[in-house]
Amino acid sequence: MRLRWVILGIAFVFGLFACLCIGRYPIHPAQVIRLLLAGLGLDNAASGGLADPMVIFWNIRVPRVLLAMLAGAGISAAGAVFQALFRNPLAAPDILGVTAGAGFGAALAIMFLVPAALVIQASAFVFGITAVTLAYVLASLSRDRSPSVLVISGIVISAMFQAGLSFIMYLANPYDQLAQIIFWTMGSFHTASWAKIQATLPVLVPGITLLILFSWRLNIMTQGEEDALSLGVPVMRWRIFYVLVSTLMVAAAVAAAGTVAWIGLIVPHIARYLAGPEHTRLIPMSAFLGGFFLMIMDSVARSVMLSEIPISIVTSIFGAPFLGYLVIHAGKARLSHDT
Amino acid sequence: MILDIQDLSAGYGSTPVISGIHMTADPGRICAVMGRNGSGKTTLLRCINHVLPPLNGKIRILGQDITRMARHRIAQIISVVPQVNFSPFSFSCRDMVLMAGAARIRAWAAPSRKEQDRAASAMAEVGIDHLAPQAFNAISGGERQLVMLARALFQKTPIMLLDEPTAHLDFTNQHRIMALMRKLAAKRQMTVIITLHDPNLTYHYCDDVVLIHQGRVAAAGKTADTLTGDVLARVLGDNIRLDVTTGGVRVAVPARFDSETNQPQHASANPLTTHEKKRIV
Repeated sequence: MRLRWVILGIAFVFGLFACLCIGRYPIHPAQVIRLLLAGLGLDNAASGGLADPMVIFWNIRVPRVLLAMLAGAGISAAGAVFQALFRNPLAAPDILGVTAGAGFGAALAIMFLVPAALVIQASAFVFGITAVTLAYVLASLSRDRSPSVLVISGIVISAMFQAGLSFIMYLANPYDQLAQIIFWTMGSFHTASWAKIQATLPVLVPGITLLILFSWRLNIMTQGEEDALSLGVPVMRWRIFYVLVSTLMVAAAVAAAGTVAWIGLIVPHIARYLAGPEHTRLIPMSAFLGGFFLMIMDSVARSVMLSEIPISIVTSIFGAPFLGYLVIHAGKARLSHDT
Repeated sequence: MILDIQDLSAGYGSTPVISGIHMTADPGRICAVMGRNGSGKTTLLRCINHVLPPLNGKIRILGQDITRMARHRIAQIISVVPQVNFSPFSFSCRDMVLMAGAARIRAWAAPSRKEQDRAASAMAEVGIDHLAPQAFNAISGGERQLVMLARALFQKTPIMLLDEPTAHLDFTNQHRIMALMRKLAAKRQMTVIITLHDPNLTYHYCDDVVLIHQGRVAAAGKTADTLTGDVLARVLGDNIRLDVTTGGVRVAVPARFDSETNQPQHASANPLTTHEKKRIV
């Protein structure tokens, strides 16, 4: 296991370096090192003719790579948590309606509010949280306390917000607003900025830290309500805790980048393949791989064509076949339901 | 008295499945809860473990009202070996056993080295230490049952509840589990409450028996005094009768059928029952 982490760490450093180099404005690796040193005040950028690259590197590329990493880590860690809570390896972090709510919020801001990036982000975040809260309230009206009721409530609320989003798209001006909404719903990091990182970091970093800190209890949450109670875990209280932390993280990530398909579902599977199902190893591995994976996918999205490809298209193209490969080659024992 | 149940009624919604249940249990003894399918055995166990709140009555463990106890405190006194053993994610057997440390471990902590050693000891006590690294879902049903037993032992509670632990096991494993429970109850002075369908296992391994019929206690007491042919026939069905082997061991066997009427002969026809003491509650 330690060797795996070392190999992954080396791969991550190389991947990060490559992502900082490539893009619409390619930067030579030696120049990247100088720009990094200059940013840390160890080299004089202006005297070396690095004034323009300095702006591109530190104001556009670095925040973009950081935001992709943060969002990927948050969504993937939340995905692993949701799969544990709902005892279902096919559960995704948007199962309770956070993505649908955030999409509606973003569309609402684009259509009726100031379509500035931070306003869209704030609106998406608020509606993402609202959707999950409504799903929880709806589920609490039922006598049945099982997680499946919560999932059904999530489906109901998602459908309502999805309908709201479709209605806004129907009303939107097809020349600017509609395109903006569609692009948002497919996700992108092209609006990444330090301001977005400032808005996202205070949610995602404490969120991931909390999930790692309380990861061992997730093993018990996978055992079903009665078994978990018998083992001394007050299930309802812990379920609310995990759902709250994960939802805040996913809402923050989606609000910053739009919908990012697949990674909340597949990255925990890849992590389970590498680290096993035990959650003290699985959650850090999911967060790490999610950050790594989305950073690479975003670099692909901004590099392979002249115009930027929405991130969900790239994550689906690479992610879905990879999951298929794992299902066939890794064996069911590593993935989930087995005997 | 470690467990004291008084006038317990419980069910799903407002309809009681069990009612008027009185029951006590003492340390170091195995008590079988028997009854036909749907009689309320599992409901009773769920109430004792307080995963199903009672509609009426009181349950006291170690003298305390269970409804006023925190969940982790109940888990420090009662452990459970559930009926169905399946994990949606294939943890190792070691990880499955370690989960039982939750009531002792702080919420943000993982099991310490000391806890891991204790879990290994519990597995060794059950004789499954070799299974520790194996995937729980990849081992046989009998081995899984033993892992769940090791988990309950690692929980280190004075009361252990087992819900039909022999239901899916072969003959050898049924007796292996029951013999182990016999040994552990004596060694650890543990109170074991176990739901069973097979009267023969009750005869062989259980000190006491509670028979539930249509949600009420039909008979209760020491196994030898209580589990008579008449009681068996009345509670479990008149197609069971009691017999004695040449070695003097009591066994429950299918009733003889009357060749003319094709009806089972009544248990009262069994010569043993007329001499047996019985206690009907």
